[in-house]
Amino acid sequence: MAVTLSFSPSTMKQYEWLLTRYPTRRAALLPTLRLAESEFGEIGVPEMRYVADLMEIPPAFVFGVVTFYTHYRRAGTGKYHIQVCSTLSCALRGSEDVVTRITERLGIVPGETTDCGLFSLSKVECLGSCDTAPMLQMNDDYHEDLSIDDVDQLIEQLRESAKGGSN
Amino acid sequence: MPDIKTPTTRWTLNGQEVENTSGMTILEAASEHGVEIPCFCYHPGLSIAGNCRICMVESNRSPKPVISCSERIADGLEIETESEVAVDARNSVMEFQLINHPLDCPVCDKSGECVLQDHSYSHGPDRSRFIEDKNIRHTKELGPTISIWGNRCIVCTRCTRFCDEISGTSELCIVERGDRSVVDVFPGIPIDNQLAGNTVDICPVGALISHDFKFEARVWNMERKDSICGGCSRGCNIEVETLDGFVKRLMPRENQDVNDWWMCDEGRYGWRHLYSDDRVLEARGPSGPLDSSRSITAFIEILDNSPRVAFLIDPFLTCEELHLVHALAASSSDSLVGGWLPEQGAAAEFPAGFKISADKHPNRNGAEQVFGHQVFGEDASHLQRALDDGSIETIVAFCGGPDPDGPGQEWSAALVKASTRILFSVLEGNWLDGAALVFPATAPLEKEGTWVSEDDRLQRTRSCWKPGETPFPGELVLLQSLQSALGTRSRSLSAAGIFRELSEVCAPFAGHNHSDIGSSGLLLSDRPAGVGAGGGA
Repeated sequence: MAVTLSFSPSTMKQYEWLLTRYPTRRAALLPTLRLAESEFGEIGVPEMRYVADLMEIPPAFVFGVVTFYTHYRRAGTGKYHIQVCSTLSCALRGSEDVVTRITERLGIVPGETTDCGLFSLSKVECLGSCDTAPMLQMNDDYHEDLSIDDVDQLIEQLRESAKGGSN
Repeated sequence: MPDIKTPTTRWTLNGQEVENTSGMTILEAASEHGVEIPCFCYHPGLSIAGNCRICMVESNRSPKPVISCSERIADGLEIETESEVAVDARNSVMEFQLINHPLDCPVCDKSGECVLQDHSYSHGPDRSRFIEDKNIRHTKELGPTISIWGNRCIVCTRCTRFCDEISGTSELCIVERGDRSVVDVFPGIPIDNQLAGNTVDICPVGALISHDFKFEARVWNMERKDSICGGCSRGCNIEVETLDGFVKRLMPRENQDVNDWWMCDEGRYGWRHLYSDDRVLEARGPSGPLDSSRSITAFIEILDNSPRVAFLIDPFLTCEELHLVHALAASSSDSLVGGWLPEQGAAAEFPAGFKISADKHPNRNGAEQVFGHQVFGEDASHLQRALDDGSIETIVAFCGGPDPDGPGQEWSAALVKASTRILFSVLEGNWLDGAALVFPATAPLEKEGTWVSEDDRLQRTRSCWKPGETPFPGELVLLQSLQSALGTRSRSLSAAGIFRELSEVCAPFAGHNHSDIGSSGLLLSDRPAGVGAGGGA
């Protein structure tokens, strides 16, 4: 795939503004990756390469940063990205049961995407909502104080809205 | 530098008041007093990362243990390395490091020289409390010469720092997070730089594995000799590791004046020709192989019947071998000596100052000092002219390089003009056709003696051969046998003995001997390192 990626002029303007806000170019990597994510829809190898070249930092460094965080939308992620927090508070309050339930309902384990491309499941580190454990993040929304029923309901809702969206 | 007053710091180490140069880290300062603090991520040649935590010690200035690799000494600081707090901290870190480590030492190439193994032995628990499943990380090739065995990785980041700071190529990174983090490369950009092999050396565990050495030998069975790389005229200090007299691996040896802790991959992997099927391993004449006494007799017969003998030397010969050639040439009247140089390669300089020379030979400088003039310049053209006009019937030529073309096309063509040729060669090649005598030549790693690097540093190289088990007499032995047969030598000497003779007759070497060269070599002249590189041709 020899698609040449490039920021649109307005995104480029935002990028240049970002650079003025950080002491070094490298420090602006996280928000620049956010820009790339919204511009290109996901962060895959070509997108990382583009950002690395744009910012003149080693591609390997960008790769390390992108894989360190769970918050970037990686290439091949399904339409609905279910990220279950599995750090301490959530783990103690039953995040493992939440993951197991989702696996039962969708037939995928963390790190996988359903064949239909609709759902991706990940176990992620702390999402900063320990008071409402266990919780998960579906795309940009938090779903908190989860019970197994809540999980079932969420999946049903998402399936419905996917149908609604495609009709 | 004792003449300059350096500020010192008084501090207390394990209850004893000690003094060190100000600004040192606790780890470095303690090691000066013989207290070794364990470390994984710390490497003297790299920036301080402080991520492995094994070097924690107890401090009077902190409620919690501090990491001694980054904490600096200060007046009044009291450090305990063996207190309960320190030992506890170390043991806990060790237990933590081993949680996901596979403990596959029996099949790991690092085993025996593994920092994790050593520290586990001295600081770790003898059993694991971890009953959960160990996690699995990738095992894959990172480049043409290196693989990562992710399960063994303790994420010390020595290798990534090396690529960022020393080679400046930044191919390596740590991907993922927490217990899943492991070394990787960007998809499609393998680690393929000229210094890549060093990442395997500095890996404190067996995570980075060199394809060249994988499953080749157990490190405790190998013998080690301090030697010098003959790959270029930098003269990087190396350790040659052999198993039963066969080279298995070359490792860089620290020398802050030459190569720091590093060596290049060209030198590191450039020894396979030693065991090539094309090696010349015995002396031979036109009618077949000759044993050593018959080969000497034949050599002398040729010398006796030649009115004029010329010598073509190479820049691989040691100063000792060159001294013998010089003496041999001087013993016959009207002899001519010239030298040939291999083709220039690519020079390189890396961000941290490591250099690779374009001169792909180790001893041009030494040869010029031994002969006292431009043996590769003016003398060489003189010799070439003499060969061209047919005034030379007998020539003795040396080729200690790994090239089957010997001294190269141009010289090979010139050599043919001498009707009687005595040739020393490492490898078989067309240039040996029609020679009166062919002798096996020693390759750089097989030589015992001294070389002078491009910085004018006199250094000792040692033979990888087992003493008493040499496959053939090298130039050093053979040339002395010749002298004995000619009646110009009363007894044969070691390389050190020949060097003594050399130092008596050759000014640049005067006053030196093998033992005062030491492990890091000595400068023959006072000119600063790097100036006048290339021997002033």
